[in-house]
Amino acid sequence: MAFLDNSGDIILDAVLTDEGRKKMANGTFTITKFALGDDEIDYGLYQKNHTSGSAYADLEILQTPVFEAFTGAEAGINYGLLSLAATDILYMPVMKVNEKAAVSNIVRAATSPTTGMFYLADTSTDTSTNLLLSTALASSDKFLVSDASAGPAILFETGLDTTLIAGDAANKSTYLVSNNLVDSSFYVSYDNRFVVTCLGGRSQQFDNTSAGTSGTPTLSYTLSRGTAVNTDLQLSNYSTCRIAAGNDGVVTDSTYSVTDTEVSAIAGPRGAFGVLGFVIKANLDSEFTLYGSVSQDVFGDGKLYSYIDTTVYAKGTKTGCQIQIPLRIIKYISG
Amino acid sequence: MPLVNYEPLDSSTDVTTTKTLLYEAIPLTGTIVSGTYSDENIKNFTHGMFQAVYDYPYLSSSANHIFDLTVGYSSNSSLSGSANSVQESKKINMYNQFAQVLLGYTGSNNVVREFEKDLTLDGSGAMLNAFMINFSRLITKDQIKKGSFSLIVGTGSWASPFSFTETLTDASASATGGTTNTIGGDYGVLYNASNTARGVVFYQAGIAILATGSWDNVTDFNSGSAPIYSYTTAQSLVSASISGSCDAVRHRIQNISFNNTTEINSSIYFCRVPHNKYNYTSNPTYLSSSQIVVKSIGTDTPISYITTIGLYSSNNELLAIAKLSEPLRKDPSNEITLRVRLDY
Repeated sequence: MAFLDNSGDIILDAVLTDEGRKKMANGTFTITKFALGDDEIDYGLYQKNHTSGSAYADLEILQTPVFEAFTGAEAGINYGLLSLAATDILYMPVMKVNEKAAVSNIVRAATSPTTGMFYLADTSTDTSTNLLLSTALASSDKFLVSDASAGPAILFETGLDTTLIAGDAANKSTYLVSNNLVDSSFYVSYDNRFVVTCLGGRSQQFDNTSAGTSGTPTLSYTLSRGTAVNTDLQLSNYSTCRIAAGNDGVVTDSTYSVTDTEVSAIAGPRGAFGVLGFVIKANLDSEFTLYGSVSQDVFGDGKLYSYIDTTVYAKGTKTGCQIQIPLRIIKYISG
Repeated sequence: MPLVNYEPLDSSTDVTTTKTLLYEAIPLTGTIVSGTYSDENIKNFTHGMFQAVYDYPYLSSSANHIFDLTVGYSSNSSLSGSANSVQESKKINMYNQFAQVLLGYTGSNNVVREFEKDLTLDGSGAMLNAFMINFSRLITKDQIKKGSFSLIVGTGSWASPFSFTETLTDASASATGGTTNTIGGDYGVLYNASNTARGVVFYQAGIAILATGSWDNVTDFNSGSAPIYSYTTAQSLVSASISGSCDAVRHRIQNISFNNTTEINSSIYFCRVPHNKYNYTSNPTYLSSSQIVVKSIGTDTPISYITTIGLYSSNNELLAIAKLSEPLRKDPSNEITLRVRLDY
């Protein structure tokens, strides 16, 4: 799409999306609400301390060219504007995956051959034992197993990731709870060609206070299937379900021998946490061929695997903070 | 990813509909009609009942159909039943087809009405012999604008058709008068400069019906070299084929112009953004170490910049999307109403 001409008056370029045209054709086109987006904006261009004065602070932002409207729903609004009642909010929560060594029963991203990729085992015709033979996946914290209610799972947290505010209970109340910035649930979106549903935590607990005074983390949960929801997800072949969020009870305490940052991915006050697993389709062999790679020596150790790379999106239902989790669905073949 | 904040649209106060008429000038130069492409843009059919005119050789995928041309006369015409007539039944059929669609039937016997060069449809001024030009939907769109039609025809000899010309217009027609309504829509009368009626134009149907009057004094309205012939309009209508007479009419069209009309029905959504909403964003660049980058201290004004408006169904389906040509600053000190118009 081209850019809109921004040399004169502000104009508005409006189009029906594919879905809109479909609704128009079947006679169910009814618009009932709107939302606003700012996907093109890079707020990093905002110069609070511009030498010429505050009037120039957003000059670059206001000159940002804007694309013509896309008809594909995928290119609609990815990051929406938020309505928060308070105007004095200075900090907003972010979401991060927790891969801390001190926390057990979680899955960490592999470091070889790719970094940051989370592995999900397709054990439909084999057990996960064969994956453990791999040099790269030789520990059970290196891969998820489909439909494993006891875990391990991906742990993610929300909170203020700053060292300027101590992560204690008082600051959590001041900066997060009182501003209604603690999520009670998360949306998780996944490619429904490979994944049947996601698993979220039930009876879940994550803190560093309940195991005594050492600051040792406690993470307990049982995974159960998320609730399918109808959202405005703008990706083809993606479905969304809602999973429950738990209260992130990790706090800063200078007397703890295990510091809070050894336990939590968030540096400041923590809001909520979630644990995440998946149920994959029973037989993905044809999908490996269509969308992935078949019988590859992925780790360079002579063992062959088939795999598909996909991305999972998690988002706080209240705060809107989100992460993308790269996921590799992998199946041991031989070797 | 799912959005968090929707703002409802009240169907009684935030949504309205309008109708706008959009006009386009359509000039059709006679050279396209009668020679530029050595008639490669003229398509004749084996049935021989009409001739199609394109703006480019019709075998090209770039060609656009601009109008069809045919001739006919009523069974009540003096030409009907003439000796040595060619394609007579087809000519009568063509006349009747246009007449029954545009004017319908009349009387207790349900006879087809005949075209008239006036607005009364009382039987006087009948056009029993006619040339019919039906313009394609591509150029007429919803209708021809009343009062905008102009046709310049050559009334000179065959060899020099444009040594004399006659300009036929519907200048007496307008959106508020000068037309008659029939089952085929509104029509206006085409007059020459002397205010003599020469035909009619049906606006919604995009069809011009021309009487033969412009060429009554022309002895070689239709002429050919092999075999040599020289026909008046009446002789051409009787003795020439439909396509032969169409060729003669095209030979004498110098210019056609009119304005087409497109009716645009619009829904306008007034997206009202209150002062206390949409002042923050989930845009990842909004935060640096969890701190809002447009603020230095908590009491600084939160700012966001609107570039996109999504319109949703009650099921959160994105049905329409609008983009602003430049970012619009939103903060708690302002309220914005964004007017999104969807045209159908």
